[in-house]
Amino acid sequence: MKTTFEEKDGKYVMHFEGRLDTAASVQTEQEMKVLHNCEGHDIILDCAQLEYISSSGLRLFLALLKVAKAKGSKVSISGMNDNLRQVFAMTGFTHLFEFL
Amino acid sequence: MSQANNKNTGQWALTLSNNVQEIPQLNAFVDEVCEFHGLDPMATMEMNLALEEAVVNVMTYAYPEGTKGYVDISAQSDNSGLKFVISDSGKPFDPTTKEEVDTTLPAEQREIGGLGIFLVRKMMDSVKYEYKDGHNILTLKKKTNQ
Repeated sequence: MKTTFEEKDGKYVMHFEGRLDTAASVQTEQEMKVLHNCEGHDIILDCAQLEYISSSGLRLFLALLKVAKAKGSKVSISGMNDNLRQVFAMTGFTHLFEFL
Repeated sequence: MSQANNKNTGQWALTLSNNVQEIPQLNAFVDEVCEFHGLDPMATMEMNLALEEAVVNVMTYAYPEGTKGYVDISAQSDNSGLKFVISDSGKPFDPTTKEEVDTTLPAEQREIGGLGIFLVRKMMDSVKYEYKDGHNILTLKKKTNQ
């Protein structure tokens, strides 16, 4: 599991690559902390290279969403594969995020 | 970790310790069972998700923090489908009695946890818990059309 952070056109973008399972979520949680300081920046989670997510990963996305919303930042997700879409649909996460 | 597989009989077994860093080994195990059973990538992902959630639940809650414990996973493939049995010798805990998650709530009201067993239920056709001879035993079944 690998993440890459960049600031692009004033937005905070994080690219996810690999499997975000419970084992990986500990490290990914640390890496996502940079996104929590998002005052004045919308956030894009680029999941085009994300192969898998379990509830540990969903938890990180929801925690970020709560923080960002409170700060007035939008959180959008781009490039999810069918497997991820299925997990988001089943858990009701499809209603929570915007999708690009 | 120990692993014993027998493709001729369609039965597999894996033992992990209560360390979530061993989850990738569970993933490899489930992939092998699903490939043998002929599941497509979506169904294989669903089985991985169900097994990860159920096993992480045991790794996280069955044993007191800082003590070592084990979780045994066995799998069986036959004409009716797949059966997974997850057992541990930790404190008695029935995950099937957990409350349903309300997936329609807005972000502000959604709880950060509680999705694990919900996903197991969604993914599987039957989830059965029993406590027997000092062991928690969770049996997950998935019917497949073959």
